[in-house]
Parts: sequence; C-alpha cells; structure tokens
Amino acid sequence: MTEQEFDHLLSKYADVVVRVGLNLRKGQRLLLRGILEDAPLMRKVTESAYKAGAIYVEPIYADERITRIRFEHADPETLSEVPNWMVKRYEEYYERMDAELAISSSDPELLAGINPELIARNRKAVAQRLEPLRKYENTTNWCVVSTATPAWAKKVFPDLPAKDAVEKLWGEIFASCRIYEADPVAAWNEHKDKLQKYRDYLNGQKFTALHYKAPGTDLTVGLPEKHLWQGAQAEFKNGITGIPNLPTEEVFTTPHKDKADGTVTSTMPLNYGGVLIEDFSLTFENGRVVKVTAKKGEEILKKLLETDENAARLGECALVPNSSPISQRKILFYNTLFDENASCHIAVGNSYRDTIVGGEDMTEEEFAAAGGNKSLVHTDFMIGSDKLDIDGLKADGSRVPVFRAGEWAINMY
Amino acid sequence: MSKEQHQELLKKYAEAVVRVGLNLRKGQRLIINNAVARGVPAAGREFVHEVTKAAYAAGAKYVEVIWGDEEMLRIRLQNAPGDSFDEYPKFHITAIMDMIKNGDALLSVSANDPDALNGMDSERVAAMQKHHLQNYAPVGAQVSRNAINWCVVASGSPSWAKKIFPDLEPSKAEEKLWQAIFETTRATLPDPIGAWEAHIKNLKARANYMQAKKYSALHYKGPGTDFTLGLPNGHKWSGAQGMAENGVIFTANMPTEEIFTLPDRNRAEGTVTATFPLSYAGSLIEDFSVTFENGRIVKVNAKKNEALLQKLVDTDEGSTRLGEVALVNATSPIGKRGHLFYNTLYDENASCHIAIGRAYRFTLIGGEELTDEEFIAAGGNVSLNHVDFMIGSPKIDIDGITQNGDREPVMRSGEWAFDA
Repeated sequence: MTEQEFDHLLSKYADVVVRVGLNLRKGQRLLLRGILEDAPLMRKVTESAYKAGAIYVEPIYADERITRIRFEHADPETLSEVPNWMVKRYEEYYERMDAELAISSSDPELLAGINPELIARNRKAVAQRLEPLRKYENTTNWCVVSTATPAWAKKVFPDLPAKDAVEKLWGEIFASCRIYEADPVAAWNEHKDKLQKYRDYLNGQKFTALHYKAPGTDLTVGLPEKHLWQGAQAEFKNGITGIPNLPTEEVFTTPHKDKADGTVTSTMPLNYGGVLIEDFSLTFENGRVVKVTAKKGEEILKKLLETDENAARLGECALVPNSSPISQRKILFYNTLFDENASCHIAVGNSYRDTIVGGEDMTEEEFAAAGGNKSLVHTDFMIGSDKLDIDGLKADGSRVPVFRAGEWAINMY
Repeated sequence: MSKEQHQELLKKYAEAVVRVGLNLRKGQRLIINNAVARGVPAAGREFVHEVTKAAYAAGAKYVEVIWGDEEMLRIRLQNAPGDSFDEYPKFHITAIMDMIKNGDALLSVSANDPDALNGMDSERVAAMQKHHLQNYAPVGAQVSRNAINWCVVASGSPSWAKKIFPDLEPSKAEEKLWQAIFETTRATLPDPIGAWEAHIKNLKARANYMQAKKYSALHYKGPGTDFTLGLPNGHKWSGAQGMAENGVIFTANMPTEEIFTLPDRNRAEGTVTATFPLSYAGSLIEDFSVTFENGRIVKVNAKKNEALLQKLVDTDEGSTRLGEVALVNATSPIGKRGHLFYNTLYDENASCHIAIGRAYRFTLIGGEELTDEEFIAAGGNVSLNHVDFMIGSPKIDIDGITQNGDREPVMRSGEWAFDA
C-alpha cells in the first residue's frame, strides 16, 4: 500500500464512519475519543465531520501508556481516585445531544503482569464514577470503530515486522468495514437490510429460551417475555438512526437475568482491561455464575464477576454465523469489536435498554422485573464455533433450529 | 547522544521539574496541560511519561494529562463554519478549575510547532484565539495569583527543532534541541537539584537589590528603542521562586533567568523595538516595534504579521498596556547559545522583555487581595492576554530612575551593571 493509497482509504473510512456509522447531522457537535495512536483517523474524521456540517469537533486523546505507568508507579491506595469532571465532560455533550465516536485500538497486553487486584479496584472505581452516564444510553448518535495501532497489530500478527503488521491490520479493518467496495455506503445499506431480516424473523418467533450445544457447552438461556432483537441499525433518542458498531455482523438481545442454566465454554481469549483471560468456562444456575475455571487469568475473571451483585449474570446474547466475513479471516483480533463480530457471544453484566420492549422508559425496578440486568460491567465473550448448535425454544415446548454447525439454520432467501 | 543517555537526562530533567519546579507535595494531584495547543502535543509524550513517573514517586495521588493536537486546530480553521469559533472544550476549564480549588498542581508542557497555524486565515485565528482567552480567563486569573504550585516547561519536538535548526537533519536538529533543554535546565549537571538551589539564590539576590532601590522608572536605550517605563508604588521584584496560596514554594519556569515585576499601566513613553520574533497564536510576528503614550500603545509596526499584532493589541483595553517588565542579562545560559528558540519560555530567558496585558497579582505588594478596580487604581493591568516580547540585546542600556529623579545604571550593553 503506498502512502497515497492508504490516505485515500483512510478518507473513505472516515466518510463511512461519519455518514453511515454516526449519520452525523448538519449543526451537530462531535466528541471524538481515542488514544494518541488514533490521531490519523481522528484527523480524517474531523475533516469529514466538518464537511458534513459539524459545528465543532472535540478530540479527547488518552495515552494508555500513562495508565500502565500509574499501575506501576502510583501508591496502590490511590488507584480508586477518579476525578469528578470525567463525568461532567460527557454530561455536557449528552445533554446537548452531540454525536460521539469512540475508537477502540488498545494494546491487548497493556496491563499484562499487573496485579489483577489493583486493576479490578481501579476499574470498579471508574465504573462507579461513570455510572450516572448510563441514563444517557442511546441518547445521541454514537459509534465505535478501530484503527490499526502498533501494539495491537503486533499482538495480532506477532511474526510480521512491525510496519507490515500495522499495514496488514489496516487491511483487515478496511475489508471488514467494506471500504474496498466501490460504493461503501451502498454496501452498508445492503448489509444492514440483511441483518435486519434475521432480526425481524427472530422477533417474530418469540422464543422463550435459546439452547446452546457445543464441545464444553450445554447452556440454556431464558429470554424475557418482552425481549427485543436488534441488529446493525439503532434509533437514538435524538431522532437519528445510525450503525453504532463498524464493523457489525451480529443480531442480539438480552437474556433473562434469572434464567441461565448449564455450562458454557469460551472459544476465544477475552481481553479484559488489558489482561487476557484464556480457555475458560462458566457454569450458571438460575441465571447466576456458580463456577468459574480458566487456564489463564482466572483471578481477574473472578474479580470481574465480583464487581457487583449482577456482574455474574448475563446481559446480552448475540448471534453471528461462523461464515461471517470477519470469522472467515481466521484471525484472532484480541479486540472485542472484531472478535464479537466473528462469533456468537454472550455478555456478563448490564443489559441494553433497547433490548426489552419499552425498556428505555422503564424505571430500574421495572426493567429488572422484566428480566433486564443492571450492572457496572458489560463484558462480551465468545462462544461461537463451527461446532455450535443453537435451538430456539417456544412456549409450547417446541424446538426450532436457529444455528447448526455455527451457521444460520434459517433460510431467509 | 545514545538512547540510554537521553533517557537518563530526560529522567533527571523530569525529576527537577517535579521536585524544584512544582515542588509537588505528597497527596497532591497533578494536571498536565498546554493552553495554546489545547493540550500537550503528542511530541511531548516521552517527557510527560517521565514526569508522570516522577510525580507518582513524589507521592502524587493522581496525574491527569490533557493531550492536544495542533493539526486538529488547522483542520478546524480550514473547515469549520465561520460562525462556530465560540465553541470551546469547556471540560478543560472544568477540570483545571476543579484541581485548583482542590489545591492541586498544574504543569504546562510545551512541545509546540512555532509555525503550527502558519498560513491560516488571520480573522479565523483571531476569533479562535479570542474565545480561547475568554474561556481560559478563570484559569489565568488563578495562576496569576499563584493559587497553586504551577510550572511551565518544554519538551523537544521535531517541528520545533526544525524551526530552530532548519539546516540540520531532523534527528540531529532534535538532538541539538534536547541538548539545549537539558543544559539550560541543569539536567546535565551532576546534582541538578543542588544547582537549581544555588541558581535560585542568585536570582533572589538580584531581585532583593532591585527591591531595595524602589525605582520610580526604568529607562531603556538601544537601537530603535528609547523608552521609559514607570514602576508603581508597591511593585515587587520576584525571581525564580514563588509561594503559592496553597503554601507550596515553587519555581514557575524551567529554565528561568529573569527577575521581574509589574510596570505602571499608565506610565510608558516612547518606542521599543523587539529584538526577537514573537510566537503568538501559532504564528510568528517579526521585526516589530511598539510606541507608547501614557502607558498606552498608540502605534504598532511589523514587517511580518502586523495584522495579527494589531489583533493582539485590540483584544481588550488591557492589551493596549503592559503587565510585566523582566530583566535578563544577554549572556544568560540561554542567551549565550546565540540562537532563537521561537518559544517564549526560552527566548524570554535569553533577553530582557516586557509583556503586553495582564500583570501578575503577586508582583504588587498585597495585589492578591485587591479587586480588579483596586488593582488597576494601584497601576496594575488586567487583560485576557499576557504576551511577553523580547527587547534585550548586547546593545541595550537600562537606567533605574530613583524617586528623586537620579539615574543609576542597571544594565550596560545587555549585562548587569551592579553586584548583588
């Protein structure tokens, strides 16, 4: 890839982010969140946003190296310190219904070797501090995308020279975000329609539960009576529709917080706060994790599940066929945005309000009574493979094949 | 310089900044910012990492870095709607004011490109700058009264190095800039902290001498300069060290070679010619002179960026008057390097200078306690701006004019004319 070709692709990518992902409106402000290494995309998005009529683009850069330095050098007693204005800065944006783009490109090994106890303490303090922002869920048009950063690329392609690894990872990002298409916007519209057909089918079935079966997995996940499947497109409270994840290959809903029974085994490592958790299984009873095993990172996994009362319950189940374009790359990305779109997954922790009919207008008590989960965490982990079968269970006791051998068992076409 | 040597010096420099510059106290939080670039440019990253480590080693409770991106400012100036420049990242102000109220420390790290906004539309630059100054005013007011321990320092950066040493290869230019930074901040000495203590003592002795004299005015004479500047009753000379309202004794600039006080806002007469270009709002103003009557700027003249200079003066009433007078000998460790830095922190410590705009409250005895009106009545200046420009050279003579009207030499040919 020449510098010129890369620049051209990056511009196309930025346009897709602004036009398809955020669907930015003239006169909006845009909040950009990324790490210093994301600057090339942040700048292109800024240019594209102003061209789309943004009145102001505000970058908030973080330096993840400073995060590691803190764990290594600060007095452990101070790791719960989270300044109050971290909340204020977002409140100001959400109150004004400004758009928000978050870039996810972290070093998967950022906190490797740091005491999990300290990481958990810090993450909990941050989650508690940011909890008041939960009420702004889906308030404004938001989107999450990635850029290829050196540390992440090195983890994904450890055998390549640094420069080649970054270039190859960019190639994967561009391909999965349909940037190589002659008309990426049209390609996205087509893809969105396809995901929405599955979504509509699943909503029509009104399953009471999903039953997952695969090596190491035999899990039944109950669905709330009023569960709602979502896919690709979201309608935000500021009246704008957009695609909050680029790429996206999933349709998803919320499980009932009290109805999960059996054991599920992960099929990919989980990157949690800069630490990798590998080869792990969770056993559920009445919706709650009762047993945890992991070959690597078991301690931090347990800490994650202990964050609060409902961190050991499920808040999302998502369906992605094994033949998804990202899955077909046969690459482990160590980044949830990519890995979750290569594989069926479930999440422990918080449920999205828009996955229960009327959920956005419910009080916390009403949402919990409807089966929704409330927690400081929401962490996806992958359970899909070419050996996964999923049945949908209906109220009358009948079973409908939903997935067979990792593929949709429903013929939509 | 090997990578290891560079790293070692960077560490010593960062330790001096934390221990002498900020004198950071255990349990304080530290916020690192750069107002001009709306955050520290990424070029300052390695240095900021060392400062962060040194701050935590000194017992900091939390270190926050606000990062900026000068390229984003250019993109904004080129693409944003013309009526949108009143938009501002208000959380920066919220964050810094929150820290100040809590008695925390503030560090400004420059790694800026002196030409960052070169070639941009001057109307747009001025509009963006004006709204920045208005938004930043609450922070400026707190810093000007030394509410907390604060410090301004610089990191090397490729674009800055290229501006100073345009004929050198980029890596050589950057190395040379770092060498200058390390030497002038005394990081290359065996005991930087001890060296700083000795240096601070010297500057304080000069400030004490000037303080005892209680001059009524200073008279500057040099090529293009014949200029008299009144000093108000109660003016206070400071050097190197200050005491913040949170009780911490700190050194606000590293490097620092100046002693300074405030001029009387109503008493400046004559013309003063700048001896260095002035880096303002991302552009360089060059070869300029300013003429005063009754303390007020009545004429500006510049070979380059005169319009921007006029905009600076037009910002508010206080921007037509002076707020600082500082004395630096022309052979200071920075001056004797013999080249421009295109960065105020460095250039102002190579040369006598004066500042357009706001006077520091602590340069008037009891100034922190006065209202704006009282401060102005006492001769102090109030403005959104505080912009230093250089007027020193080996050809400048300065006399002190006593309360009786007698003249005493303060500087001759750019050097101190008295022993302290």
